[in-house]
Amino acid sequence: MKRVAALLAKELADLRGNPAVFVPALITGFFSIVMPFMIAVAVPFFTGERLSDSSDFTIAAEMYQREPAARHLEPEGAIQAMIFQQFLILLVLTPVAAAMSVAAYAVVGEKQARTLEPLLATPITTFELLLAKILGALIPGMILATGCFTIYVLGAAVLAESGVYQTLLVPRALMIMFLLGPLAALAALEMAVCVSSRVNDARSAQQIGALIILPISGLLVAEFTNNLLLTSRLIGLICVALAMLDMVLMSIAIRLFDRESILTRWT
Amino acid sequence: MAPLAASHLTRRFDSRVAVDDVSFELAPGEIFALLGPNGAGKTTTLRMLAGLIRPSSGSVRVDGRIGFLTEAPGLWDRLTVERNLLVYARLHGLSDPARAVDEALELFDIGDRKRDRAAQLSKGLKQRVALARSLIHRPDIVLLDEPTSGLDPESARDVRELILRLRGERRAVLISTHNLDEVQRMADRVAVLRARLIALDTPAALRSRLFGSRLLVTVHGDAERFAALLARDRGDVRHNGRSLSVGVDNVEAAAPGVIRTLVQAGADIVSVVPEEAPLEDVYLRLLEQEER
Repeated sequence: MKRVAALLAKELADLRGNPAVFVPALITGFFSIVMPFMIAVAVPFFTGERLSDSSDFTIAAEMYQREPAARHLEPEGAIQAMIFQQFLILLVLTPVAAAMSVAAYAVVGEKQARTLEPLLATPITTFELLLAKILGALIPGMILATGCFTIYVLGAAVLAESGVYQTLLVPRALMIMFLLGPLAALAALEMAVCVSSRVNDARSAQQIGALIILPISGLLVAEFTNNLLLTSRLIGLICVALAMLDMVLMSIAIRLFDRESILTRWT
Repeated sequence: MAPLAASHLTRRFDSRVAVDDVSFELAPGEIFALLGPNGAGKTTTLRMLAGLIRPSSGSVRVDGRIGFLTEAPGLWDRLTVERNLLVYARLHGLSDPARAVDEALELFDIGDRKRDRAAQLSKGLKQRVALARSLIHRPDIVLLDEPTSGLDPESARDVRELILRLRGERRAVLISTHNLDEVQRMADRVAVLRARLIALDTPAALRSRLFGSRLLVTVHGDAERFAALLARDRGDVRHNGRSLSVGVDNVEAAAPGVIRTLVQAGADIVSVVPEEAPLEDVYLRLLEQEER
């Protein structure tokens, strides 16, 4: 593990020197935070029309008030809480976006900078190399996502109805942020690493890694249309499925990382 | 036992044979030069020796640690010189990485640039850092792929001095290069590669094999009249202005007789030296012979 730590430290130091790589993740995080506040707080404030007065939200509010964490909330607060909960899925895209931006360059970037060959001449194993690369992308993404989540909760505490922020600190919400998010980011990362082992162009790697956004968006749409309520149990099941997918992808990534091809085909 | 031995190394890429049945050994304290045109298989050979790619057939026996300087310095540009070295010291599992880095910085005289990012360095300095990186774990065998390629003369000289220092430390050094002047100055043995090994010997032996031994005599005045005289005894004599080039079997044995003949003929001799064909001529002759 010393070699993983050594390369991970290098990855993190390298990222500190290239903060621009996080711009896509910051943009994703920004819109993930701003959108629910626009819908739940800003629009009612500026139009003078409360969400609970709209028939569009009546059924949803009633459904949501059955949730233990939302039972004590007023109808307006319950609707706000529901909106914040639904957009939480969008916040999961922040670590995914961060991880993909970094991971796409993980192997391709090293190859393009011609830094991979001396690295491969050291005793580092493929597993150690890929693990360091993946952690090097995942850790900053999670730090960023945690920062965004903190702003999200603080914003809800300050701007939303009383007690709304507490519905973001329940196990379900925390599972979305700190289990579903990292596992989805890991899957995106591994896909990006798999592809970046085989292509010469970081953008191709990013495009394939972006596929993970589709099921996450699907979850978001299903929640918005009230076709799906992401219960803790369902999130748990999704996390188990993602964890299995992550393991499969890691083994594929190791198999695809053919040192010889990387060195001889890309010259 | 030789620290490194390649035995019948062959490497194919699909139907193309990049390296074909190459065998040689490296001795401790030896500088061994691998010459060859572009695409001759030099880098592939080095990669096989370093364990980066597998041979299709044949084997490499290594007794000791290998340090590999790749063709490009391959430094992480956004990291400082010190950090670049520290990562490698840790990857090699050194017991005191920080100390190893300090020693490398001092040895390669780059301590004053340790806080600079690699991107800020000149090409020569980058190469020096890359060399420090490949030697940070004190390898017994050093493989250098084009170590002075693209460097200005001063930086190239610095790198050459570092390589000579490695020989002094009894490390086995293998250099892949196009720079014949460099090989002439440093190499103990030369291998010429064009997928297969065309020649392998000391530079002097290769010269002698291809061009024979010659004496170069410089006289006062025109040398033409002495050329005819020497040709009667020696046969192979060429003249050019004040110089005579005399083909001999053995330079040391033949020199007194040549001098005596010329003095008796009234020549004022300015100098007598063994004539060495430039390594470039040797190399080109070997490649020509191979093409035929």
